[in-house]
Amino acid sequence: MKKFLHLIGAATLALSLAACGGTDEEAPDTGADEAGEPQEEAVTLSVGASAVPHAEILEAAKPLLAEEGIELEIVPFQDYILPNHALRDGDIDANYFQTPGYLEMQIEENDYDFVSIGEVHAEPIGIYSQEYSSLDELPEGANIIMSDSISDHGRILPIFERAGLIELDVAEGELATVDNIVSNPKNLRFGETQVEARMLAPSFESGEGDAVAINTNYALEGGIDIEQYGIAFEGEDVLQPNLIVVRAEDEERPEVLKLLEVLQSEEIEQFILETYNGAVIPISQ
Amino acid sequence: MLNEVKWDGLWNATVETVYMTGISVAATFFLGLILGLILYLTSKGNLWENRFINQLFSLFVNVFRSIPFIILIILLIPFTRALVGSMLGANAALPALIIGAAPFYARMVEIALREIDKGVIEASKAMGASNWTIIRKVLIPEALPALLSGITVTAIALVSYTAMAGVIGAGGLGHFAFLEGFQRSNSQITFVATIVIVIIVFIIQWIGDYFTNKTDKR
Repeated sequence: MKKFLHLIGAATLALSLAACGGTDEEAPDTGADEAGEPQEEAVTLSVGASAVPHAEILEAAKPLLAEEGIELEIVPFQDYILPNHALRDGDIDANYFQTPGYLEMQIEENDYDFVSIGEVHAEPIGIYSQEYSSLDELPEGANIIMSDSISDHGRILPIFERAGLIELDVAEGELATVDNIVSNPKNLRFGETQVEARMLAPSFESGEGDAVAINTNYALEGGIDIEQYGIAFEGEDVLQPNLIVVRAEDEERPEVLKLLEVLQSEEIEQFILETYNGAVIPISQ
Repeated sequence: MLNEVKWDGLWNATVETVYMTGISVAATFFLGLILGLILYLTSKGNLWENRFINQLFSLFVNVFRSIPFIILIILLIPFTRALVGSMLGANAALPALIIGAAPFYARMVEIALREIDKGVIEASKAMGASNWTIIRKVLIPEALPALLSGITVTAIALVSYTAMAGVIGAGGLGHFAFLEGFQRSNSQITFVATIVIVIIVFIIQWIGDYFTNKTDKR
């Protein structure tokens, strides 16, 4: 029942937040005044983020930034397209949700003038199954449920390739898609069912498919026992860090750099380790 | 110009949208008609006047009309699994589509029935018609044009609901446009999928208008 209410709550929140977005356009550029009086007023920095763990990590960073005279405004997003639109349009000052591969793809497709100023954490995508305890146990023709986000496919398929279940033919620097599978002796069915990332945990809970590939944030949100049901994860070497991304002209903005500094601080690292029990990996510099 | 459109994918998506819309419109019509009749007949001054039943159904209709579609899908997961055997796919979207749309249509049915001249019902009663006869021979035929234009509006709303059913892997044109068009920045696919949706909406409106006019005796 509790989980059920949790789900409803999360969905309601996500819906109500879809309408939010508008914030102050440009925070005053504090770096510009050399001789003037020191600015006492807090500068507002609005950052777009996914709900878990990004917004939670930002929430933990809020008091630390307040000490530095920066008021952090967290703008939660429920999808991966709009946070970049909002950043381009100046509705937010930075966003914190995407990985380098995705950022690159988005820049290429939309001509965004964005830069990443640094990495905060990584969330390995995991393969979860209620029936099987390893990838090798998956039967012939097993149905693997994936999200409808193409960039996720590029992270999920290599997990199976590494386990020797499929072979991929991907050009250097490209993300793999289902079309890149050249050998699949067990006829595993990938992405035959593609659901919104939010529905992955509920799908797993109700026993859909033979295995479900779930982004860690959604597995956490859905309250899945990651240790018990996770049967394979992205390798340490291919972990995709989650970036703080800003418009190129803001790359040197002091508030933005301060934000990164706080997010990479020991306090936040400790917070991540304690809160997520290893399901979210802090990236220390 | 449209060289980057995956036509077979578009065709499948069209079939999925038509399939989901078709079945849910048919089910919504019957369910909504029954609910609407109950709402009308149990209301004050009508054949089965019953305050308790009326309030109960009114509450039910209001509650299900207010639940956002995505939450309805999540709420109905156990029910859907029991009924369809899976919470994913086009069939699994049907319960949420129908339960989301039927209360909406029920209110339209209620409005249509209220428009009927009370004198006609009184006259039928005076001639000794049973309640059942009045429903079949008076209420429904008299309200038919409004019932049909109501289901047309509902059907078009259902087309846009099917786009949201993409979250549970139901497919359909809306999700196809999102997956292949929006996400891959392939505007051709988004464009063509939108055109197909517009065509479907026009066809529904055209069929609806045709039958509404045909049954309108005024």
